[in-house]
Amino acid sequence: MTATTPAVHHSAQHASNVRLSTVGILRSEWIKLRSLRSTVWAYAVILVLQIAIGLLVISVTVGRDGLPSGTSLTDIPGLGILGVTAGVLFAQLVVSVLGVLVISGEYSTGQIRSSFAAVPKRLPVLWAKAVVFFVVTYVVSFIGILISYLVTAPILAGAGVSSNLFSSEVIVPLLGAALYLALIGVLAMGIGAILRSTAGGIAAALGLLLVVPVIFQLIPADWSASIVDWLPGSVGRAIYDASAVFDWWQALLIMLGWIVIAFGTAAVLMRRRDA
Amino acid sequence: MIEARSLTKTYGAKTAVDQVSFTVRPGLVTGFLGPNGAGKSTTMRMIVGLDRPTAGSVTVNGKAYRESHAPLHEVGVLLDAKAIHSGRSAYSHLLALGATHGIGATRVREVIEMTGLESVAKKRVGGFSLGMGQRLGIAAAMLGDPGTLILDEPVNGLDPEGVVWVRELVRYLAAEGRTVLLSSHLMSEMALTADHIIVLGKGRVLADAPVAEMVSASTVSSVRAVSPQAAEIARLLVSPDVTITSVDAQTLEIVGLTSAAVGEAAASAGIVLHELTPLKGSLEDAYMNLTADAVEYRTGAFDPSTTPMNQEASR
Repeated sequence: MTATTPAVHHSAQHASNVRLSTVGILRSEWIKLRSLRSTVWAYAVILVLQIAIGLLVISVTVGRDGLPSGTSLTDIPGLGILGVTAGVLFAQLVVSVLGVLVISGEYSTGQIRSSFAAVPKRLPVLWAKAVVFFVVTYVVSFIGILISYLVTAPILAGAGVSSNLFSSEVIVPLLGAALYLALIGVLAMGIGAILRSTAGGIAAALGLLLVVPVIFQLIPADWSASIVDWLPGSVGRAIYDASAVFDWWQALLIMLGWIVIAFGTAAVLMRRRDA
Repeated sequence: MIEARSLTKTYGAKTAVDQVSFTVRPGLVTGFLGPNGAGKSTTMRMIVGLDRPTAGSVTVNGKAYRESHAPLHEVGVLLDAKAIHSGRSAYSHLLALGATHGIGATRVREVIEMTGLESVAKKRVGGFSLGMGQRLGIAAAMLGDPGTLILDEPVNGLDPEGVVWVRELVRYLAAEGRTVLLSSHLMSEMALTADHIIVLGKGRVLADAPVAEMVSASTVSSVRAVSPQAAEIARLLVSPDVTITSVDAQTLEIVGLTSAAVGEAAASAGIVLHELTPLKGSLEDAYMNLTADAVEYRTGAFDPSTTPMNQEASR
């Protein structure tokens, strides 16, 4: 590094073109997302988990080790997507952690002050982050889900259970499962934006998925069981898997309700608090 | 042009910034001075909307910063070197920051070159030294070619070369007609860099004046005379308007007379002078006098932040 006479290049093009824009903020968030190792690793783990768990579960099932004696493979409904849905249960944990990190990492490192200095209205940063994270997570999840279906389908076909990717019983749940992963990630991001802390955000997001349902299940009352049905984890499952309680579109609306609550709270706090 | 009017920020019962009003003009380097906890950083954060004022308002070029259509072109800000995600490379950080305003890779490379970060641009910021972090912060501030620069402790952690570079940079930017507000704890550096000084203490404006004016108003000019016949000179010069202090047997410090008057008086009495030196107050002296009552975290009688080397600093 050398200190020289300050050469300040300021090209004339900047003065006229330099302007805050929605497209620019979206592009900025895309650059931020892809330029962190943690993001790349998390998405790689999601892909690997999705495919490996799918293969494992289907192999075990086809090998009959996982079946009660006397049942036939064809008796199990939705077996064609069992590998996919099994992987989602694990991938959702990684997606939640990543969702929290995407926003809490900005607070813990101080980056948020640079981000808000560039976008002083603040909320466009939150919306752009959510949109970019939703789209990327959806695409990556769907790729993982699709691969896990494609590698497990031949194993199932060999055991006499055939399915068609383009039939609505298969493609709709696959698209729905990716949608669930993207939405649960966005919900975790909303929680991270409220709490602004990585540790607290991850604890809250995973707690809502794993711990809160167990607590309500322990309470022996009808209202308690109904509450469990409305929690993000079980509602989300109803988006892509047959549910006794909600249709997929009802489940989707409830999930969006959770996200609206989280982001509404986060937005109010983000405007009010000092960065 | 930055205009603050009755700007106030309280944290619970503690008032960090108390009814502060000032104007930072274009074409000048304005220095923000004050002890730790005086409210300098909080004031700077309020200018760019990172902290919400409890009362009062501050505008940049006549409007609130958050209303700007191109904030990075309006104000370039270096708040602290840690306002950057440590996991990202310097290049990616600047690219992401610039992208919000449609600023592309060409300009990013320009500011990287300008701040001398070429060799580390692709490395992760987490491994940067304090000085490299400061350079990156300055690169980020320059990214939007801003009309106003706000630099909080820009020379903190820089090597001597870097300190000179920052000084030349801000003087150059001000000469171009930009508005420059910077804070520093290095008084000698501030004396060399700033045209105008705003002194904050305990959240209030203690002084707001050009550097030269501040020094002459807040310090006393004196004359040092060294002579084997010091006592005789002292007798010659005695008058109600003149204060004479005997530093040692041969040395006097005289307040109230010019060095010419002292020299002529000695010559007419045939007294030998070994030394005759006009002593001007420094910015540091002025600052110490102004903030004597406003220091939040006081050290003992010896203040390590004052270095004897700075005493003679003047513009």
